[in-house]
Amino acid sequence: MLRDIITKEIQDTIMSPKFVFTFLLCTILILISVYTGINTYQSEQKEYSAAVALNRKNLDSQASYQTLAGVGVKINREPQVLSTVVSGVQEAVGRQATVNIAFDPNLVDSKFSSNPIFAVFGALDLTFIVKIVLSLFAILFTYDAIVGEKERGTLKLALSNKVPRDRLILGKAIGGFVSLLIPLVIPMVLGLIILMLYPNISLSGEDWGRIGLIFLMFLLYLSVFFTLGLFVSSRTSRSSTSFLLLLFIWVTFVTIIPKAAVMAAGQIKPIPSVHEITAQKDAYLQEVQKEAIAEQTAYFKENPTPKDQAKVPQWREDVKLWLEEFQQRMTSKLDERNAAIEREYQTKVRGQQKMAVNLSRISPASALMFSTMSLAKTGISEYERFLNSIRTYKPIFTKWINEKMMRSLNLSGGQQPTPELDDMPHHEFTAETFGDSFSRVLPDLVLMVFLIILFFVGAFVSFSKYDVR
Amino acid sequence: MLEAKELTKKYEDGVIALDHLNLKVESGEIFCMFGANGAGKTTAINLFLNFIPPTEGTVFIEGIDMIKEPLKAKDFVSFVSENVTLYGNFSAFQNINYFSKLAGKRNLTRDDYSNVMKRVGLQEEAFNMRTKNFSKGMRQKLGIAIAIIKDAPNIILDEPTSGLDPKSGQEFLVLLSELRDLGKSIFMSTHDIFRAKFVADRVGFMQKGKLVMLKSKEELAGEDLNQLYIEYMHEHANS
Ligand SMILES: Nc1ncnc2c1ncn2[C@@H]1O[C@H](COP(=O)(O)OP(=O)(O)O)[C@@H](O)[C@H]1O
Ligand SMILES: [Mg+2]
Repeated sequence: MLRDIITKEIQDTIMSPKFVFTFLLCTILILISVYTGINTYQSEQKEYSAAVALNRKNLDSQASYQTLAGVGVKINREPQVLSTVVSGVQEAVGRQATVNIAFDPNLVDSKFSSNPIFAVFGALDLTFIVKIVLSLFAILFTYDAIVGEKERGTLKLALSNKVPRDRLILGKAIGGFVSLLIPLVIPMVLGLIILMLYPNISLSGEDWGRIGLIFLMFLLYLSVFFTLGLFVSSRTSRSSTSFLLLLFIWVTFVTIIPKAAVMAAGQIKPIPSVHEITAQKDAYLQEVQKEAIAEQTAYFKENPTPKDQAKVPQWREDVKLWLEEFQQRMTSKLDERNAAIEREYQTKVRGQQKMAVNLSRISPASALMFSTMSLAKTGISEYERFLNSIRTYKPIFTKWINEKMMRSLNLSGGQQPTPELDDMPHHEFTAETFGDSFSRVLPDLVLMVFLIILFFVGAFVSFSKYDVR
Repeated sequence: MLEAKELTKKYEDGVIALDHLNLKVESGEIFCMFGANGAGKTTAINLFLNFIPPTEGTVFIEGIDMIKEPLKAKDFVSFVSENVTLYGNFSAFQNINYFSKLAGKRNLTRDDYSNVMKRVGLQEEAFNMRTKNFSKGMRQKLGIAIAIIKDAPNIILDEPTSGLDPKSGQEFLVLLSELRDLGKSIFMSTHDIFRAKFVADRVGFMQKGKLVMLKSKEELAGEDLNQLYIEYMHEHANS
């Protein structure tokens, strides 16, 4: 009997006009999304390679360590292959950082900043489609699951037979879910095949694992709305009421809670503006510079150029040594202080972010966003890890360049040596491991499973008491 | 056999829609329940089928307590509801197929379905048509076919003739009497006193939830139907 109910549910949906419509729209949207995702990724990849090559050339063409110290090293963020399905914050955050002797490095030049029109509507990635469009379909498929049968009189007719209610709702749930999955999974698999066969896109085993988890999150997210639809449908006595109520909940989940959470977190845990931080850093830089000039003046007052020409070479050596030590001391002072300001600021930012994330998590839409971004390595945390790796690199680079600069100092004037880059320390970054990403998304996964169980049990209990008339 | 004992329904808002109904419909008998809109006929049927819990009393179907063992009792009763819309995307075949499966009839063929649908007077062109394009009368016929195919000893019908044209209504009554002759107990609610009197073995008149009068076919034959209609069926009778 369960099988009959499931079969009927699937047939009934498949033969309805909404099914054909959903199937077509899903196919078109998902294919467009994967296609644009691939295109964007490839052009980003191209830009990235070009930027890396340019930086390399730039480094090689520096005339002296002095200019190298000022111009610095440019570091580019590599585009993530999984941004083809989840674009995350990739396009909103900076792509390039300059590490030089003076300033605290920061990632700038985001895609949105270079072409703000992209920021208006955001990316049409799979997450967006699942979050907005497919969740609406899940509602469309379930809002009248129970109440619709009541209105058609088929519920009474079914229950005039030896049909237990739990069997009926179980059959409807399974059948309904399967018929919702058909128009979703087929285009998605199609999209994945395209991704797999596309030239110049290579996915590692780990990437596939991540894609698998991303799809699991998609499925869970849609199940939340599916069971919610079932639940509301078994608590209302008119399908129009059910639809309106579901739409209201959908709007709340998808748009209101995430925005409100971010706003609330901003109110509860305010952070100083970036300008304040920059001003603090600039003020300190000036302070250090003043201090440096004073110390330098004092040094040369105490150690003037010897009158005795024979002592000059020794004096030069002493000055060089002192200068190196002095330069290292000043820059590391600067670096440490900047790092401290930055740390303090980052702690505040992270506190606010964490609060926003946790507040918004009650909405499955936010849970979906955060989890898929983490899995695709296109999220905020991955961006921060990258930025931190640059900030860690900055003192390493500074130390090296100071050493080089001072050693090559030619106080007698004349030709400066061209920089040797062989032993220059390189910036290194390793992406978050699969295990770490997974443990990051675990709360979202658990939350969605919890909501699914809650709504399904709710639907089950409500239906067992449902007024069939 | 269908029996109601002290069956009472008081809704949450205090309306007593059915007031201590005692009634027995024997096998091979057609019982017609007359009453104006709001008299409590549908409420009685909803109680017979355990769609709503009674405030008091109980229902027996073939001697099985419907309130205590609804799933067991439901095997012995067929039901035609007041306005069935069925699954609009399904054809008549698909609809009858699904409901006969639910009724536990698993070995039926397409021919069996065709025969029953022909028997209730559904045109053959309609068998493969989506039921959303059906008229109310066609849906009603399909609903009756679905009830017949279950082949239960009791049949409960809520206003079955309301959507039918005079000819179909007449054919339907003939069908009902055939079923009675097969030994079914038939309970039918209606406000079509003039038509139903031809087939009813016994009639009841309901007013404000109370069964106010019972008459046999013979007693009814001697009555002035117009007078009865005005007295019991008219809306004002309830107010
Ligand atoms: N769910 C309900 N809650 C409260 N009152 C109801 C409900 N359903 C029906 N009634 C009332 O019970 C009475 C009987 O209704 P019903 O059994 O539908 O009458 P009939 O089928 O004879 O037209 C009416 O007064 C109606 O308003
Ligand atoms: Mg009624």
